[in-house]
Amino acid sequence: MKRREMIKLTAGAVAAAPLVKIQAPAAPQAAAPRFFTPEEFALLDELTELIIPTDDHSPGARAAEVAAYIDARLAESFEDEPRQTWRAGLKLIDEISGEMHRQPFMRATPAQRVALLTRISRNEAKPEKPEEHFFGELKARTARAYYTSRIGIRVEMEYKGNTYLKEYVGELE
Amino acid sequence: MQRTDADLRRVYDAVVVGSGAAGGMAAHALTVRGLRVLLLEAGKKLDLDRELKSTEWPYEHPRRGDMPPDSHALSFNEYTIRQPPYAQAAKHKHVYSYVQGWSGSDYSKNIVVDERDHPYTGTDYAWVRARCLGGKTNIWGRLALRLSDYDFKAKSRDGFGEDWPLAYADVAPYYDKVDLYLGISGQKENLPYLPDSIFQRPTRLNPGEIKLKRGLSRMGRVVTPYRAGVTTEGLKHNKYRMRCFGRGACGRRAGGCDIHAAFDSPTGLILPAADTGRLTVRTNATVREVTVDPKTGKARGVSFIDTETGKSYEARARTVVLAASTLESARILLLSKSSAHPQGIGNTSGHVGHNFCEHLMGPSVVGLVKDLVGKPRTLDDGRPGGFYLPRFRNLSERRPDFIRGYGFEGGGGATMFPGNSLSTPGFGASYKKDVRDRAGAFISMGAFGEVLARYENYVDLDPQVKDRWGIPVLRFHYQFGDNEKKMAADMAEAGQEMFAEAGIEVVEVDRQILTEGWSIHELGTARMGSDPKTSVLNQFQQSHDVKNLFVVDGSSHVSAACQNPTWTIMALCWRSCDYLADELKRGHL
Repeated sequence: MKRREMIKLTAGAVAAAPLVKIQAPAAPQAAAPRFFTPEEFALLDELTELIIPTDDHSPGARAAEVAAYIDARLAESFEDEPRQTWRAGLKLIDEISGEMHRQPFMRATPAQRVALLTRISRNEAKPEKPEEHFFGELKARTARAYYTSRIGIRVEMEYKGNTYLKEYVGELE
Repeated sequence: MQRTDADLRRVYDAVVVGSGAAGGMAAHALTVRGLRVLLLEAGKKLDLDRELKSTEWPYEHPRRGDMPPDSHALSFNEYTIRQPPYAQAAKHKHVYSYVQGWSGSDYSKNIVVDERDHPYTGTDYAWVRARCLGGKTNIWGRLALRLSDYDFKAKSRDGFGEDWPLAYADVAPYYDKVDLYLGISGQKENLPYLPDSIFQRPTRLNPGEIKLKRGLSRMGRVVTPYRAGVTTEGLKHNKYRMRCFGRGACGRRAGGCDIHAAFDSPTGLILPAADTGRLTVRTNATVREVTVDPKTGKARGVSFIDTETGKSYEARARTVVLAASTLESARILLLSKSSAHPQGIGNTSGHVGHNFCEHLMGPSVVGLVKDLVGKPRTLDDGRPGGFYLPRFRNLSERRPDFIRGYGFEGGGGATMFPGNSLSTPGFGASYKKDVRDRAGAFISMGAFGEVLARYENYVDLDPQVKDRWGIPVLRFHYQFGDNEKKMAADMAEAGQEMFAEAGIEVVEVDRQILTEGWSIHELGTARMGSDPKTSVLNQFQQSHDVKNLFVVDGSSHVSAACQNPTWTIMALCWRSCDYLADELKRGHL
């Protein structure tokens, strides 16, 4: 990459990011979930934030309202099976939390929550147990929702397209 | 386009069936020669700019671009496990082919057909159809390549199949005309087996692609910017199209360019043809058969069904030009049975529906360019495509295991959706950083290979099953053979070898051959040839049997080659339409 283009890219990223950050909502809107119970929804919201947390680069899944998007898609799902899978999956999280830490997930400490996710994500490439399959589904839906959100595309990934461009940004001779 | 009602009492100079690459080109090429043309399209006329909405952000759409919940896209597994007609076993209200499983499919759902209305039977086939003005050109992949004498004279080189009844020199002037009239972006490479076009500004390669290019030049192989049927410098003669401004919408949907920088038949060909005042377009007109003058045995016109009213009509013309797509044109020929043509019109050879071929796809590789990890991401989907890696097999050397060749389409760098978010392991801050740091560092490519045109691969009419309009449907008798399987194995090996040679870490290899039909490049069901006993058309895509009948789409191709066919379809069609106009003037038709 040419030096000129590197500078252009970096300058663009710095200039664009704060603008978008200001517009990003600080917390999700408190609309009632359409499919999940409020308790299930709070658990899902926490799980998504643990998968894609806010860091010093950008807001995470909670700010991007990932749980609300997953809830909306499940509410209108043509088949009932995904709804059952998700309800059972969340229930399983609480059961495993009880087994590991003697309390439901939302009452466990932050370190205990991470320990649980670490356990169910251990065989991510080759899931066998039901909770390992659920982790895969949870993570895939979280990633899809986050990286198609405004925060995911424009703040986290600093996507530069979908606008009029005089020339292809980052092109190389 | 002015409102144009078909006048069914008049006899047009030509009736063109289908409005995709071939039909649009026929409308253009015939109207510029002064002919009065009626163009019939089976589907509707869509306001494509309202359908595609290519600048809508994913988060502005309630399902981030996905179709409504009652709509279903067929998966590879369904094509594999079930038998056609595939929609039968699905519970959903609407069932579509696999392309509707891509992201952003809500924008293309009205362009492709609902499988429920358009069944077919027989062997597995992932058939993608678009019934609307412009057909599949509204969502095509845009790779625009020329064939060479390595393809036209392939039999002379390896003994298989038939040579085409024409040579590159015959088609080259028409490739030039297509380049100049429609615009194509690319870079000259001076390859005898992949001739250059008259290119507009190429879209450039990014750092990972340059790395591959440099690595492969050591092997004597070529990586060239995607040769895209896209105008990058604009077209002064076409007021309906804009030049590409790289805004990055190309990778988001099943194609579709609503600034029309990418070629599509409506803005590239049909609207300008209508401006001549000599073109009449009737949509929702599904052609059932070619009608015949019983006295002369010549084509009299076509009969069609108005898909909105269900009523049947006949449109009459001095010449009939079929451009309904490889499979639909074959279907119309087979449906056109009369006492003069008991096996279907133009089918005394018995070759209609046979020698059906296409491109094999599936094998692919994904690599990681380590030097790009953590570097600023570029806007790599702000281009109509990444790179093309032309054929390198069976050119000077001869493979012992298979004949013919394949090329790779690929691309590297960042896209709007970071695909690695689904494959990066773990969770939490380290996962998030890994996705961010590596999103622009991947490069991937997939092969497209020549499927041999064999007589035993064919379609015919199903004796029982009919479509929504009561028209008998196609039955497939089509399977990849030994040559294809051996070629596919080599694709995966060669892909890995090339990435390794270029210093790119191979992170994924796919060896699976996708279902027949997946490439959407079906060809060869009414092939050209000099011998009327073994071919359907002559070198001008004119029926050997019926002088005023032409078939100007991919069905005329003698072999599939491994290059994407759209540019060749249009070049051949233009050439044939010039011949048609000359012959009509001379009174030979």
